[in-house]
Amino acid sequence: MMLGLAAASCALGVTIPAPVAAAVSDADFNALKDLVQQMNGKLQSLAQTNQLDQQVIQQLKQQLGETQQTAADAEQKSAAAVSAQAMPRVPLDEATVNHNFQILGDAEFQYAKGDGVNGAFMLADFAPIFLYRGGDNILFEAGFDFILQNNGGTPNTVYDSNGDRTTVNNNSGYTTTVNLSFAQLDYVMNDYLTLCAGNLLLPLGTYSERSAGWLNKFPDSPLAVDLTPGTGVGAELRGAAPLGDGGNLINYAVYGVNGPGSADGTGNAGALDIAGGNVGLRSDDVVANLHGQPSGGARLALFMPFKPHYDLELGISGQSGEWDNAGTHLWSAGVLDAALHLGANFEAKGEYVISRYGSDDLGLIRQQGWWAQAGYRLAGLNLELPGINNIELVGRYDSLLDGFGNKTERYSVGYVYYLTGALLFEGDYEFLHSTDPTQVNQLILQLSYGF
Amino acid sequence: MKHPFPSLQRWHRFAVPLVIALAVNGGLIATARADDAKPAATSPAPAKKTLTGAELYSIHCNRCHPERYPTERTAAQWKTIMLHMQVRANIPGNQARLILKYLQENSGR
Repeated sequence: MMLGLAAASCALGVTIPAPVAAAVSDADFNALKDLVQQMNGKLQSLAQTNQLDQQVIQQLKQQLGETQQTAADAEQKSAAAVSAQAMPRVPLDEATVNHNFQILGDAEFQYAKGDGVNGAFMLADFAPIFLYRGGDNILFEAGFDFILQNNGGTPNTVYDSNGDRTTVNNNSGYTTTVNLSFAQLDYVMNDYLTLCAGNLLLPLGTYSERSAGWLNKFPDSPLAVDLTPGTGVGAELRGAAPLGDGGNLINYAVYGVNGPGSADGTGNAGALDIAGGNVGLRSDDVVANLHGQPSGGARLALFMPFKPHYDLELGISGQSGEWDNAGTHLWSAGVLDAALHLGANFEAKGEYVISRYGSDDLGLIRQQGWWAQAGYRLAGLNLELPGINNIELVGRYDSLLDGFGNKTERYSVGYVYYLTGALLFEGDYEFLHSTDPTQVNQLILQLSYGF
Repeated sequence: MKHPFPSLQRWHRFAVPLVIALAVNGGLIATARADDAKPAATSPAPAKKTLTGAELYSIHCNRCHPERYPTERTAAQWKTIMLHMQVRANIPGNQARLILKYLQENSGR
């Protein structure tokens, strides 16, 4: 049987191992086994550590990539910032600085609808102002008014404010009227005194000097403005000086002008020409004042700012002089003016005007008028409503006694919508109470732009 | 009542306000020059608070119209406009210069 097994083993290629010459003890085996197991454990631990390290390496690679991207972005931004950096200011050319011409001004477009008349669109005013600066202290300024008026189409029977019938043109088309509203040369003599000469904006009150259409907040002027001349041809010394260090100012102006004239040369009350028709060059091309003596006037005012946007200005002004060609009658006027600002949202101002003049036919004519207006910007309510911060509500009361027995009172309520700081959409409704039949209630809408 | 000096009658309506204006102006100029010539005070005076150009801008430049932004005009244009405003709004020259400096520095043009 054993031989058979051996033979079979040979056939199968199985060898019967020979007995081992050196034997491994159990202890050594176990020790070796333990060692292998330990090494296996360490190997596994190393494998785990390696895996963690690989993860960390991946994270670091990712962070490195992000850092590199950030650095690249920063470099791009830096390059862009350098290229966009404002160039150093080039010193201004003195020739440009000391000679500068500009056109400022304003324009007003209206829609007006009065009781008993048809509503109409109108180019209410186009009033450019030319400014030419010829140095550090020389300025020439001039303002114009362009007005369009129908040549015809008016009913034949037209009455003026005195109730007299007036003749009207009945031609086709329209007329463009250009008025030189003012033109004066200003020479700043020092910080406190300026010499002005020309067709001056007169400092009778403040309305004529600060009344450009887009500044007014109402589409028309106060009634009392018609009692005083807004301009006059002559010369003026004006200026301002500080009172203390708090910003208070005293304003002063003294002037001499040709003064009011007579439209027909007579001393009749209705002939008074307050609109500046005595400009020194007569209609017969003779350089002469219409009457023997010029008129003089002055204004004194205090401006008191309590803090920015809070201020009060009080002023008193007057003018007196002959008005008729014979020089036998004086025309005199006085104005009290006041303006108050309480914050950026509230403004109130007004004037009181009185005038007196003698006449051949009606004796002493006494005229007076006053106006007071206030405005409140709804931005002061701090309401979260769209557009409300651009709305200012305005109201005005004005009255006029024309000295011929006519009294007019007007109440105006309206708004200003500030499309921008210089583009205004205004509207008001005017309630008229007047002995003059031509004065009627009216609605006026106006788009006004100051440029 | 007959005027005491008939030859001066036609000028009397100018004389008083003209004299006042010249006297005020002369006094202001004399005061400015005297301040320059004054010797140094022996004890330190309290520091005067001078209104800055920005403060003067916010005081004066919205009295009649909404404030205009400095960026609306160039430096040269502001110089012309400030001369116009100095006359029209009755601003003393030193304050007008401070306002002009503020406008020019912030015009960015």
